[in-house]
Amino acid sequence: MASLVGLRACFSALQLTSPSLWHSSLKLCVVPVSRRTFAAEVKKTYSRDKPHLNIGTIGHVDHGKTTLTAAITKVLAESGGANFKSYADIDSAPEEKARGITINASHVEYSTANRHYAHTDCPGHADYIKNMITGTAQMDGCILVVAGTDGLMPQTREHILLARQIGVEHVVVFINKADAVDDKEMLELVEIEIRELLTEFGYDGDSSPVVIGSALCALEDREPELGVNAVMSLLDVVDSYIPMPKRELDKPFLLPIESTCLIPGRGTVVTGTMERGVVKKGDDCEFLGYNRSFRSVVTGVEMFHKSLDRAEAGDNLGALIRGLKREDVRRGMVMCKPGSIQPHKKIKAKVYILSKEEGGRHKPFVTNFVPVMFSLTWNMACRVTIAEDKEMVMPGEDTYLVLTLRHAMVLETGQRFTLRDGNKTIGTGLVTEILKFTDADEYTWG
Amino acid sequence: MSLTFLFRTITKDLAKVSFRQHVQSLHTGCHLLAAEKALLMKMRKNTGYTFMNCKKALEKFDNDMAQAETWLNEQALKEGWSKANKLEGRKAKEGLIGLFIGDKAAVMVEVNCETDFVSRNEKFQQLVKEVTFAAFAFHRNKTQSQAGYVKSVLVGDELNKLSFGEGASLSDQVALTIGRLGENMSVRRAVMVGVPAEWNIGSYVHGGVSGQTEVAMGRYGALVVFQGGEEGKREFLGRKLGQHVVGEAPVSLGNMDDLPCGESETRLLPQTFLGDPSTTVAQFLNGHQARVLDFVRFQCGETTSEEAK
Repeated sequence: MASLVGLRACFSALQLTSPSLWHSSLKLCVVPVSRRTFAAEVKKTYSRDKPHLNIGTIGHVDHGKTTLTAAITKVLAESGGANFKSYADIDSAPEEKARGITINASHVEYSTANRHYAHTDCPGHADYIKNMITGTAQMDGCILVVAGTDGLMPQTREHILLARQIGVEHVVVFINKADAVDDKEMLELVEIEIRELLTEFGYDGDSSPVVIGSALCALEDREPELGVNAVMSLLDVVDSYIPMPKRELDKPFLLPIESTCLIPGRGTVVTGTMERGVVKKGDDCEFLGYNRSFRSVVTGVEMFHKSLDRAEAGDNLGALIRGLKREDVRRGMVMCKPGSIQPHKKIKAKVYILSKEEGGRHKPFVTNFVPVMFSLTWNMACRVTIAEDKEMVMPGEDTYLVLTLRHAMVLETGQRFTLRDGNKTIGTGLVTEILKFTDADEYTWG
Repeated sequence: MSLTFLFRTITKDLAKVSFRQHVQSLHTGCHLLAAEKALLMKMRKNTGYTFMNCKKALEKFDNDMAQAETWLNEQALKEGWSKANKLEGRKAKEGLIGLFIGDKAAVMVEVNCETDFVSRNEKFQQLVKEVTFAAFAFHRNKTQSQAGYVKSVLVGDELNKLSFGEGASLSDQVALTIGRLGENMSVRRAVMVGVPAEWNIGSYVHGGVSGQTEVAMGRYGALVVFQGGEEGKREFLGRKLGQHVVGEAPVSLGNMDDLPCGESETRLLPQTFLGDPSTTVAQFLNGHQARVLDFVRFQCGETTSEEAK
């Protein structure tokens, strides 16, 4: 406590001194603070007390995305919400890229008073699309970083287009390097221009929040108005403007069936891990897959041989089903809330094809290629049709494919899957559209 | 508890200090008139140069739009060069392949930039187009008198010295684009091919960008020089061969009667044909009475064998 009082005295003295002294006195104050944090540096456990969100930064290479990320961790480190990561720490991603590792997005975590964030930086369009498809890094919202000195760059259009493509609904703008602009009206003009561009791409440009500041100032502890305070208000805006994504628990329940077993005297039990939603004893349920569908009622839910009132997403459970014969269900089918999901035979998907270095094929493929599709607990042969504007797909690129399955299986928009051929994983994909199966799609499977 | 207290006091004090500084700086900022602001916006919209430079130009020429614009254009080249020098050495591995086929001649160029955001931008694509045409014009001038098969490769400096329009060199044009897009760029290599009247050039560009009609652009490109083929089907044949070259990345040509040696075959002719896995390329060519004489394959950002040495 004594040190705190000392600190306080130090600050009040500071208000009387000239700004030039400000730097040196601050350095003096910082020493005890950083020493305090070392004591607490035993491996921390991740606490789940705050809701989690994924955000990312996009913008031109020289506009200070990494500096901003470093500044955010620095500012939040002071309130214990993050570990300070310097520019060099975050910038290790390009190194990994050079070594041929597939992690192309650097991951930084921090928490504000209300939320916990995972922060991603996206170095390129194709890299990002790949992350989106494979699910390694998703964005619930993003921060567009624009330098006040340069204003919008021609390629900012491409940045916003990417945000649109990967389905980011909320963009917060940070106008960086404001300390290097002498004329504050310039910043206003930059802001007007950004708002116009956002509107052009279908975002709410007029009411999108724009924060003006300088990440470098925050890092170097000068001009707090543009530095620390701007970063704080950016975080406030991110907290309030980007809404929480819908939680898995609120969705209708879905249980991909891993296996079934017969309990003499009681009936058939299906087991699996709850994908989403909540299931309770007495709920109606529907079984789908392999061209079959029928309804029944859940008469009991068990976990580790103990009966349970309700099971939630992520729980590994067994469900006792009324009147179910063991032959009726098999691995790969799903149990779901009646009517909430349908099996489909033909879909359009955005697919990332692994490159040779990532363990994929080293040759391209063309239409009529037949890999096996794996999703949830099922797998099924499917036929590839390449989108109209392409004739073949090279390893290492992302593309739209139309996939026709041999039998209808449970598929919905946003579902992830993997394509394999023989003993090789070819790629992963994300269902973007359900297509109608027509007679023209009939195909004689070998 | 003590930590939050500490934080709160620090922020409070910081705010106090910053407020004082802010008040001081308020008096020094100058204000633009509303009319000037509109002019500035217009200038920026028309030219695309930064607000800072537009403002400087307007101040310098007393809001004369025409003069300011000429000055800006001159300034852009200077700034482009200084920016280009500053960014030199930064890795530029993305970019585009540009491919143009004229009458019995073709060029293929590679232009690099740092991120694929830029390669998707039309300003960059414009540069690729200009480079392609400059290389094509150079090839035309050089080979007017020659009738046989000509293949020339230009790398780095030779390319930068190519003339472009009136007196300007290609490197000036690159610098201008660097100034505008703020990323390191380079014109890496170009290959130019001219063939006698009875030969044909097939081409294929993969991973293309839409919206560019004159010059085909993409991440992979291939030129295939071949002879024969049925009338009217040559374009299709050339395209299929080009596609195979892009996809299977052969290293050498091989002979028509070579025996294929499995999956790792790097000679073009004995390779399994991409469009029909039941035949080899040689068999496919025999079926069309055609003969491949030469081919070139560019992959954006690849390390070429000369560089590896």
